[in-house]
Amino acid sequence: MAELSDLQRDALGELFNLGVGRAARSLSQIVRDEVHLSAPLVSLVRSSTIATDLLGSEFKELSMVSIRFSGPFDAQAILLFPERNALAIVSHMLDPDLLPEEVSEFEQEAMCEIGNIILNACISALADEFGVEFHGDLPMHHFNTPGALPLFDQDDDQVILVLQIHLAIRQERIKGHLLFLLSVSSLNALLTYVDGYLSRLGMQ
Amino acid sequence: MDDLLSAQLIDRLQTGVILLDRQGRILSWNAWMVKYSGLTLNDVVTRHLGEVFPETAQTRLQDGIEQAVRFKLSSMLAPGLNGAILPLYQQAMDRRLDQRMQQLIYVTPLHHEQCAVLIQVQDMTATVRRERRLRDQSSQLMATTYRDALTGVGNRRRFDQDLVNAFRDAQKKQQSLALIMIDVDHFKAYNDHFGHLKGDECLIRVATALQDTLRHTGDRISRYGGEEFVLLLADAGRATACTIAERLRRWIEELQLPHPTSHSGEVVTVSIGVTAMIPTHEQLAYSLLGQADLALYRAKDEGRNRCFYYDAENSDALPCCSDGAGDD
Repeated sequence: MAELSDLQRDALGELFNLGVGRAARSLSQIVRDEVHLSAPLVSLVRSSTIATDLLGSEFKELSMVSIRFSGPFDAQAILLFPERNALAIVSHMLDPDLLPEEVSEFEQEAMCEIGNIILNACISALADEFGVEFHGDLPMHHFNTPGALPLFDQDDDQVILVLQIHLAIRQERIKGHLLFLLSVSSLNALLTYVDGYLSRLGMQ
Repeated sequence: MDDLLSAQLIDRLQTGVILLDRQGRILSWNAWMVKYSGLTLNDVVTRHLGEVFPETAQTRLQDGIEQAVRFKLSSMLAPGLNGAILPLYQQAMDRRLDQRMQQLIYVTPLHHEQCAVLIQVQDMTATVRRERRLRDQSSQLMATTYRDALTGVGNRRRFDQDLVNAFRDAQKKQQSLALIMIDVDHFKAYNDHFGHLKGDECLIRVATALQDTLRHTGDRISRYGGEEFVLLLADAGRATACTIAERLRRWIEELQLPHPTSHSGEVVTVSIGVTAMIPTHEQLAYSLLGQADLALYRAKDEGRNRCFYYDAENSDALPCCSDGAGDD
């Protein structure tokens, strides 16, 4: 399986942090309070192992927002939070007095929009820096248990770019993951752009 | 599909449809939009959405349009997060009262020579209203679940949840959390003497009086069980908690509820156990209960109608210092 070089890993980390930084500004505007977002760690894993490696014991119930992007490379981008964390985010955004238990199905639509903001910001940061254009679909929201994640077992050739994401709002710190599901050829295309970006910076 | 049919279809949709060009100017606007905005296509065509609706400036809707034009990315805007962005009204009266339609908005890019962006608007007013009604009902139910049926103060379930939350909060902020445990003295004797109905009445009087003294601070009395009440005080140290405990004790004594069979006086009195701690991350919320309980038992052993606090250094209980009655 392809590996990321340290430089590529750093470049991707930087680009995604640019994206989540923008997303944080949008979210802050919505809640009229400061929202901090950071994506400190980037790694690459095989899709068949993700459910066990990454999600296994940590998460029982998941909240996922996914968007399919197509362009110079295709990716399914997923923002994934343990359900409990997702509800905490939504309740903070909608009303600080709302208990996570009280957040209804309907308000979970808000989660879909939050995912939309974060994922679009990441992709537009890539599009900006690479000078390319993607087409992004509307976001979809899923609730699931990791064992039943249809997204992760489609195809063994698939690789997943995984970013840990930290969201801080009103003294609450919430952890989740940003996943980019890519075919091997899409990954190679992405890495070509990353190398181009690095050489423009005189790094490679 | 010919243009005539397409136009008819778009006008029959029960959804608002707005088409924008690459510069974000309105190209088309269906019958649904005319009906609920009060503006015809002629009123708006070739104008920017932000010009027609200045209130959309610097909202997520403008961000979404920019993302669709510049990056070909789609956006959805949920009513919960954005409220009613567009000035759309179900009825003329709503317009006068400025009660806008609740909206779910989708912004998607189009690949076409003239049309660059499709905006769809869905009316979510009924859903939002239903949701609010359900929320109100569930809040009412929750309130009932957490209220002690006899005395009207918080019940054990209320306290258990408050304790977990307050303890976690104190751990996180490294602040002191105090717990006061209050027990009605010789309550069994009271019941035996006056009967259970009067006993219930006594508990109601005591609970109400305890809660009343705290009314302005917003702190909550809960019934822990039988004739035992508890009070959590966030960001309060031992001295503050002891002062409050003493005030509560005196207040109950001053109610002058006759209790002829009490061994500690002629009236209903309470014994109180107090504890306070800045919890470490390893400590459990139960420890607070254990400490207050120990202090309460000392208060009872020492003759009742008095307040004792838990002294962590010696794992013992000592009388709360005060100006008086009952304490040393």
